[in-house]
Amino acid sequence: MDHADAAVAAAPLPTPKTIRSRTNLPVQAWRFVAINLRMAKIIRKGHR
Amino acid sequence: MARVVILGAGISGHTAALHLRRMLGKEHEVVVVSPNSRWNWIPSNIWVGVGKMTTEQVTFPLAPIYARKGIHFHQALAVALHPEGNAEQPRPHVAITSTEPGHTGEPGVLTYDYLINATGPKLNFAATPGLGPDGHTVSVCTPSHANEAAEALKQVIKRLDSGERQTLVVGVGHGTCTCEGAAFEYAFNVEHELRRAGVRDRADVVYLTNENELGDFGVGGMTFTQRGFQTTSKMWTESLFRERGVRAITQAHVAKIEPGVIHYEQVDGTTSTLPFDFAMLLPPFRGADLTAFDAAGEDITASMFAPSGFMKVDADYTPKPHADWRATDWPSTYQTPAYPNVFGVGIAFAPPHQISPPRTSPNGTVIAPAPPRTGMPSGIMGRTVARTIADRIRDGASAPASTASMAAMGAACVASAGTGLRKGTAAAMTMFPVVPDFQTYPETGRNAKDTYGEIGLAGHWIKALLHHLFIYKANAQPGWFLIPE
Repeated sequence: MDHADAAVAAAPLPTPKTIRSRTNLPVQAWRFVAINLRMAKIIRKGHR
Repeated sequence: MARVVILGAGISGHTAALHLRRMLGKEHEVVVVSPNSRWNWIPSNIWVGVGKMTTEQVTFPLAPIYARKGIHFHQALAVALHPEGNAEQPRPHVAITSTEPGHTGEPGVLTYDYLINATGPKLNFAATPGLGPDGHTVSVCTPSHANEAAEALKQVIKRLDSGERQTLVVGVGHGTCTCEGAAFEYAFNVEHELRRAGVRDRADVVYLTNENELGDFGVGGMTFTQRGFQTTSKMWTESLFRERGVRAITQAHVAKIEPGVIHYEQVDGTTSTLPFDFAMLLPPFRGADLTAFDAAGEDITASMFAPSGFMKVDADYTPKPHADWRATDWPSTYQTPAYPNVFGVGIAFAPPHQISPPRTSPNGTVIAPAPPRTGMPSGIMGRTVARTIADRIRDGASAPASTASMAAMGAACVASAGTGLRKGTAAAMTMFPVVPDFQTYPETGRNAKDTYGEIGLAGHWIKALLHHLFIYKANAQPGWFLIPE
């Protein structure tokens, strides 16, 4: 067994609710806006 | 009247060319030299690689764009730089060889007032015996490679469907590779397609990487703040591997590949073999095969280029141990030290060293992810150098250079984990700065508020949007310059 296997086996496992929220349309619509705002901030910082 | 010659029409070179044409008056010439006749939105090649896009969807012909914008285009390979001129041609110039059908092999010479080397990577499959489409593995580095990968994957899915077990290996094919993010994307897109085809339970999917730990991505990993806790990209990435049942082999250098077997060494010196039925392993990169000569015809390639073939610019190339690395080692103007009118941008410039700590096995094998130069920093470099050159053409050669150090800019990266307007997901990440600056941010090297990651459908929508936006931008459609790099 590779040492990475042990680390992966011990990694946090998302709950079914968390997995569902990743493709929940209203949740992801809001996340789309939020992530774009974060990216816009990074873009502004890089375009000085 | 000045002439600016740009070698390469990838993200960096094409961006530089379009901005220069916009910034300069018509009396000045902008010339692009590229061996490829088509522009490629490389981030979407992984989707070609799983059969979700065609090569036509990720490429378009360059000549019509350049003709429309008044940019001269030579479909040719740059072979030699003469930054001091020579006996035959006293002006600085570059020797080129045509790759245009019907003219293949015809030599040419282009004089320049300013030169931008944006030649990108040479895909160095030869570094690992058996690696690549001419060997025993597939690639997603080019649209045609990705097409072949999609076809091979289709055959694997057929065999899985018939009840066979298959092992699919995705990752990097050498200890010094970069682009681990692309390998990660392809691994999870393959896994997603296997689930979509209903054959996932018969497939072993293995991610084989040179990263010291998952989540490194060649940038030394990241620290995110999520729900009131600091977490590492290592734990975040390992979580996805656990969730999707993808096995990981880290700290690996692929030594050779035989039909159906990968031979690799890990940083502790152990050697192992990994049988496979399907393997997509990215190659390491070298710089393009460019040589350089001075006015007397003496070879000055070693002074202009690092042994890797990448062009030396305004970086600190003094060899130093990892503990002595500084953010200030990284270039900011991308100007070559000896020739202030020559610049190297995107993947073509020589980094001063890695970003992730390098490691060497007891056998002397270097296992060290090379630093990624992703789309956003590459585009910003192209635009920044264009601005420098435009300022100097307008205000004189002593006009100050604009700057864009990777240690002072951020990056937004979106790594697809599977397509689908309703069921796709992607890991959306931001980091600031790209190159960690431990003097400014002692705890993690990066700004905690601007370094972030999350997985979800929104990330997939963003990656799909970026595909359309950047193809629109690269086509120089109305308002293209309003879309930031």
